[in-house]
Amino acid sequence: MRLADRLSIPPEVMTRTVGEETVILDLATGTYFGLDPVGARIWELVGEGKSLGEVCEQMLEEYEVSREELEGDVLRLAEELAGRGLVRLG
Amino acid sequence: MAELRRQPARQQSPAGRPPFHTWAFPDGTLWTEFFRSESGYVLRFPDLADFEVSADGSTVTCFPAPEVPEATSQHLYLNQVLPLVLSKRGKLVFHASAVEVAGGAVVFAAESGRGKSTLAASFAVSGYRFLTDDGLVVEPTAGGHEVLPSHPSIRLWADSEEALIAPRVDRAAALSYTSKSRFLAGEDVRFCDQPRPLRRVYFLGDGSAEVIQFQPLRAAEALVEWVKHSFLLDVEERPRLASHFDQVARLASQPIHYRLDYPRRFEDLASVGQAIVDHAREEIAAA
Repeated sequence: MRLADRLSIPPEVMTRTVGEETVILDLATGTYFGLDPVGARIWELVGEGKSLGEVCEQMLEEYEVSREELEGDVLRLAEELAGRGLVRLG
Repeated sequence: MAELRRQPARQQSPAGRPPFHTWAFPDGTLWTEFFRSESGYVLRFPDLADFEVSADGSTVTCFPAPEVPEATSQHLYLNQVLPLVLSKRGKLVFHASAVEVAGGAVVFAAESGRGKSTLAASFAVSGYRFLTDDGLVVEPTAGGHEVLPSHPSIRLWADSEEALIAPRVDRAAALSYTSKSRFLAGEDVRFCDQPRPLRRVYFLGDGSAEVIQFQPLRAAEALVEWVKHSFLLDVEERPRLASHFDQVARLASQPIHYRLDYPRRFEDLASVGQAIVDHAREEIAAA
């Protein structure tokens, strides 16, 4: 996964926010994934069609975090979600 | 309740198309196949019965396999088909039992074999009343949610029967596919036939705890647990799934959800029940 990549969310994947967490769910496969508020913001920006690099640029304006740390977190989350079939490349 | 029509027995012919969903036992044995048909759905229980369900879930037609007793097809309808049909009609239905404590409903949600019926039965023979032994139906109300009573019977394996049920308790006809017995509610196994406000939900662990443990769940954890324990007829019907997810998210946002584990020893059931009552009463008193 690279910062230039854009991800899409398959139509069968749904999210709901409860309390301070967001749950991603693919009912057809029974796959679940929980996101904290920062993860939920990444998910939201990915859903808007931004590349992972653009997600990082937006979040650097919103959070006090180093670029290096943020980019690592975004790439790790993207790879984990892709591994579970909750996002697709392109 | 959906209207059930019975037809004469027939052989289960090949469906001619793959199922869109299946249920299997933990050992891989096929239990239920879900097919689409021109008029709705067909639920096939291999060698037991086919149930044709209309697209809107309003009618169910049963075709038992040859030599399958009516008690078996009726049991399949009540415990497997009806919860799925209710889910199709927008109801919240879960794999869970429920009992009445201090006027509120206390729910035990678990996959098969984790003891939710045994726990409900232990309450029902100890001065409390049970609302359901599975196929829990939850309805939203103005102030929260309520649990509806279901069929006034409890299904138990022989070891639970021996530990809990007096010999005089009436039992339903034996079933051809399971050695579980079904006990009818009465003076010894008490049933609550009115809805009760939902007060506590316990998701049962695997019995590995050495002592009884209550662990509060975050809303997101409760949401995932409820979804895992949902009855859903059509797992590909996106609008219905979205509405189910919304309903469950509202339910999960209530701070009444716990993980509960305890050693599975019949001799401990009375003390486990008392600990649950004490724990649940705190919530009910607060409500």
